[in-house]
Amino acid sequence: MKEAKTKSKNELLPGTLEMLILKTLSIESMHGYGIAQHIQMLSADVLTIEEGSLYPALQRMLVKGWVLAEWKISANNRRARFYTLTTAGKKQLGVEESRLSQMFGAIMRVMKTT
Amino acid sequence: MGSVLRRLLFFFQRNQFDRDLEDELRFHEEMKAHALADADGMSGDEARAAARRRIGNLLRLREQSSEPWTFPTVETFTRDVRHALRLLGRDPAFTFTALATLALGIGLNTAIFSVAYGVLWRPLPYPNPDRLVMVSSAQQTETGPRTFSTWAPVSFEALRSRVTTLDDLAAYNSIDAPLTGRGEPLQLHALDVSPNFFVTLGVNPALGREFLTGAAAPDDDRSAIVSDRLWRTSLKADPAIVGQSITIDGLPRTVVGVLPPDFSFRPVLPRLGALPETDIFLLNRWPGDTGSDAFLFLLGRMKSGVTQERAEAELTALVNDSSIVRAGALAPEGILAPNVRTRARAVGLQEYGTESVRTLLLILLGAVSCVLLIACVNVANLQMARLSARRGELSVRMALGAGRRRIVHQLLTEAVVLSLLGASLGVMLAWIAIDVTLPLVPQFALPRLGGIVIDARVMAFCLGLSLLSTLVIGLVPALRVSGAAFGEGLALHAGEARTTGDRQGERLRTLLVAAQIAMTLVLLIGAGLLIHSFVRLTSVSPGFELSGRDGVVQTVKVTLPERLYDKPERIHAFARGVLNRIQYLPGVTSASVINSAPFGMMFIRDNFYIEDQPKPKLDAGRPKIGAGYFKTMGIPLLAGREFTARDTAEAPKVAIVSERIAREYFPGGPGEALGRHVRLSDRGEWLAVVGVVADIRQKGLDQEVQPMLYVPFQQERVDFFVLRFVSFVARTATPGSVVEGIRAEIRRAAPDLAIESTLTMDEAVAASVAPPRFRMLLLVLFAMTATLIATCGIYGLMAYAVTQRRREIGVRMALGAERRDVLRLVLTRALRIVVAGLIVGLAGAAGVTRVLQTFLFGVTPTDPIAFTIVTLLLMAVGLMAAWMPARRATRIDPCAALRAE
Repeated sequence: MKEAKTKSKNELLPGTLEMLILKTLSIESMHGYGIAQHIQMLSADVLTIEEGSLYPALQRMLVKGWVLAEWKISANNRRARFYTLTTAGKKQLGVEESRLSQMFGAIMRVMKTT
Repeated sequence: MGSVLRRLLFFFQRNQFDRDLEDELRFHEEMKAHALADADGMSGDEARAAARRRIGNLLRLREQSSEPWTFPTVETFTRDVRHALRLLGRDPAFTFTALATLALGIGLNTAIFSVAYGVLWRPLPYPNPDRLVMVSSAQQTETGPRTFSTWAPVSFEALRSRVTTLDDLAAYNSIDAPLTGRGEPLQLHALDVSPNFFVTLGVNPALGREFLTGAAAPDDDRSAIVSDRLWRTSLKADPAIVGQSITIDGLPRTVVGVLPPDFSFRPVLPRLGALPETDIFLLNRWPGDTGSDAFLFLLGRMKSGVTQERAEAELTALVNDSSIVRAGALAPEGILAPNVRTRARAVGLQEYGTESVRTLLLILLGAVSCVLLIACVNVANLQMARLSARRGELSVRMALGAGRRRIVHQLLTEAVVLSLLGASLGVMLAWIAIDVTLPLVPQFALPRLGGIVIDARVMAFCLGLSLLSTLVIGLVPALRVSGAAFGEGLALHAGEARTTGDRQGERLRTLLVAAQIAMTLVLLIGAGLLIHSFVRLTSVSPGFELSGRDGVVQTVKVTLPERLYDKPERIHAFARGVLNRIQYLPGVTSASVINSAPFGMMFIRDNFYIEDQPKPKLDAGRPKIGAGYFKTMGIPLLAGREFTARDTAEAPKVAIVSERIAREYFPGGPGEALGRHVRLSDRGEWLAVVGVVADIRQKGLDQEVQPMLYVPFQQERVDFFVLRFVSFVARTATPGSVVEGIRAEIRRAAPDLAIESTLTMDEAVAASVAPPRFRMLLLVLFAMTATLIATCGIYGLMAYAVTQRRREIGVRMALGAERRDVLRLVLTRALRIVVAGLIVGLAGAAGVTRVLQTFLFGVTPTDPIAFTIVTLLLMAVGLMAAWMPARRATRIDPCAALRAE
């Protein structure tokens, strides 16, 4: 059993998880498992999304109206809940993206000084 | 906001949400298991188990997922409420006692408030009712200010045409109005009103029209407007009634309007009270009445912007202008003295007539507030005892991180739940109480009885009360929790009372119980005073025999209409005819007639004169009676003889005087008066005194005896106007059948005559003491409620103290104390608390009972009998309440108690 890998968990800044989900969904609608896989894959296993964080985050986004949920048949013929980005969600994504680059830029500027 | 709407939606689709989440997580689990199976080569089951483990705590996940959907404060609040309800359910003894106490306190308050509000403060059912005023006049005399409530028609006319501060001034007068020709002749409650009466009130009839206010239109002068109730009963709700004619007092009247069902007008007669609801309004212009008889009540509507002072000022000026108002006007209160400055008064219609009731109602409100306070204090006490019992649990909770604020929050929620539940029960109690008691209220006592309902305003008051009680109940324990000493002593012996923190609590609780006892004592003393006063009142003999060997005295009263009976002979003939037949009715021992029966409404007093003596200072009543009157009434004859059938109109004129007159003016024994002469006016005939009778109380048990000059009915010719009010009296053991017999005879002699009332003298006397009886019953009710609550308080306190002190008592018993000693210990402690409360209560009562002065008869506000009996009673009750816990204390097994819990 390849259990108990003591990988140091990279703690995400609050709100980042939602941004990642939004970005994932901007590519295509996915179900919860798929979103988690997608992020894990693209980040080369650096970011693992715990189910305990994923689903509450999805619910929060549902409340705020950034995503919509629909029951569809998945790739392997099973019934699953698919999440789609809404217009509000798209706008929010843009806001988050610009904020991220602002932050990033600011941090890099500080770190680049000798 | 969109999110709010979505959240609301969630609330209704909770189940669906839970199912969806479950399906979603199961799907996730399967996918994960699949992936694990593929990646690590696990079997299906192993993979699934591993997947589930990875997903982690499902419950927490579910909770966190549903969290974004809830309204946070509502959730906490609902949770607290549910917790509070659960706690209350677990402690049925406390909950029942607390709820019962609160329900009683709040219920009583709500009931009394709705009465007070309905009578004193509810706006009258007319537009802009605060503009309506009753106009009366007042003069300063040597004996103080004197008010005259009525006016003569000329004065009314003069004021109405000249006044500028009033939009309109109307007049009304209460009269007899028998309705005939529509079934059984009925005596209506009627008002003669001026044409602008309804215009002044601002009310339009529901059917038909108001009276015409223009110049006198002869046709319209015989119009009438009827109440909705009269229309529905006697007029059979005939939709075509407008324009039809009905017979009132023998004259045709045209019905021009029917009032709306919710219209109400109960005229208030000073010193009499509120008359019943008016059935019919008859138009009257009092044409040609230039006399000085003042019998009209004036009702005015002030112009907007005009103050009461301004209106009074203008009216005063007008009143003192002698060209306008006739001096020497004769009002029921007396004669307006000429050349004395007269002041006009404009009293708001709302307050008019409620002065006497106001004091009583305010006293009652004070009394019930006391009761509510006692109730809240009791519940607070119980809460605190409960709190002390939970100290262990709460300390643990606080140690585990529940903030002090959280616990205070929860305590307050408990208090709110308790109060709201208690308030709901209280409202139901109040509703029942009002339903049951209102019919028992004495007839003239409360004006505007119809306005006493539990409506939105009363409910709001009730809610306010419950909030107040919440504060009292919740704050005290909450403060104790926030107090520094509370959290200390994470008691290992949870039931111990030895720590300092609880000592303080116990002292506070004891104080509260003592306070309860003090307040209860005040109420009990008040009730005791009223009871003593009532007993004194009803032990007064009216002077005549109410019920004896031969039965009771039945009276039947009629009022002969002026038009038909305009000569004394006609009245004599009627009375004689009916009386002759009544005397032979089966069951009648003796019968007679009088024009002003005792305890009736009618009584006139005036001067009289004695031969060879200067004018006496007494006013005497001058009833006109038939033969055998005193025998029928059971009034003892002290000297001489009664009137007989031989004292006819042609026989020598005779009179009978009462004991008081004989004693005062014929000293030397009642026989002295016989043969002397008296007369009723300074130009009347001399009457020979042929008998002296015992005094009777004419107007009420609490009134002085009235000197009386009796004259034979058949001999009265001058003052025959007052003969119209005929009361037949009959001594009988079967009043029921005799009443019917008398009715039949009256109908025979005068088919269109309406019977005004049929009462036995017992009923008449009972009715006269109905107001004091009612007051007494009310206060007794409050006092008993307070006593009940206070008893619970004492019991609760002692029971709890005994429980807390089990160890100490066990030790004492182990060291040799007998059961008797333990009993004495507990009872002495209780006694000390009770006595402390009693002392404070006595001091309070001595000061407070003064307000009851006007309602007391024959007792002082510091009546020693009442004070003593009540104090002893309450002390006994207090000891009894402590008895059971004391007995329980004696049963403590020392071994069991000494073993630590």
